[in-house]
Amino acid sequence: MNATSGVLMTDAFLFWFLAIVTLVSALSVILMVNPLFSALSLVMSMVGVAALFVTMQAYFLAGVQLIVYAGAVMVLFVMVLMLFDLNLEKKAFSRGPGSSFLKIASVGLFAGLLIGGVVFSELMTAENAETTATLAKTDGTRALGRLLFEQYLWGFEVLGVLLLVVAIGAVALSRSKGGTHAKH
Amino acid sequence: MLSTDWLINIGLNHYLVLSALLFATGMAGVLLRRNAIVIFMSIELMLNAVNISFVAFSKYGNLIEGQIMVFFVMTIAAAEAAVGLALLVSIFKRFKEVNIRYFEHLRG
Repeated sequence: MNATSGVLMTDAFLFWFLAIVTLVSALSVILMVNPLFSALSLVMSMVGVAALFVTMQAYFLAGVQLIVYAGAVMVLFVMVLMLFDLNLEKKAFSRGPGSSFLKIASVGLFAGLLIGGVVFSELMTAENAETTATLAKTDGTRALGRLLFEQYLWGFEVLGVLLLVVAIGAVALSRSKGGTHAKH
Repeated sequence: MLSTDWLINIGLNHYLVLSALLFATGMAGVLLRRNAIVIFMSIELMLNAVNISFVAFSKYGNLIEGQIMVFFVMTIAAAEAAVGLALLVSIFKRFKEVNIRYFEHLRG
């Protein structure tokens, strides 16, 4: 009894700690005026999400999250930020107190609807809560690999072609000379 | 007993509520900020929120397919970031700024 409650306490502490870290750094992404600080907060948030994946036994996805998001995508963001040299950023937020109030109210309403739906469905399915406690311990990464390369092989290949197209398209776009706004 | 039960018994709903809050934060960023790069970062936040709920359903429903979907979402998100940042680079070349208010002048 004591050991199980200790494990529960550790799980709970880990979840709350990671949830608070992720949410606070997500908030600072949208509240920081300097975009570089936003990028650093986003890295923190991505690391928090990766750790949350670990708490859900999705170890492979946690590694991919760290490498792809906290590594590659964020390096891309920071390099583009350095390229732009945005020292002076006036009007970081959209104008108008009325419009901001409307936007924040709509976001709050949306979050309230989602959370209300989740909590209400918990009340509806409270008697089914026992079934989730006895999950079979599966070898997640091996099952994931088998599924990805057998049942979802077609999607995987299409994704590879998409990545090739995107890589070529990104290079072509960033080399273009302004499109319809070209001076010459 | 009932008041502290939800604090220590972490279940599917905790992850779903966290995912909803993260999604709402990203949505607020998209609506409120005017720097296009920060808007992209907020979109990444929303994609991450969706990934959390996919993995949570995958764990508590004991279905590995949710993690496959997260894998696909991550790839698409990386592709989207690459194309979006390339677009921003070409917009910055033209306007010397990436504020979202310049996007209304994009028509030829």
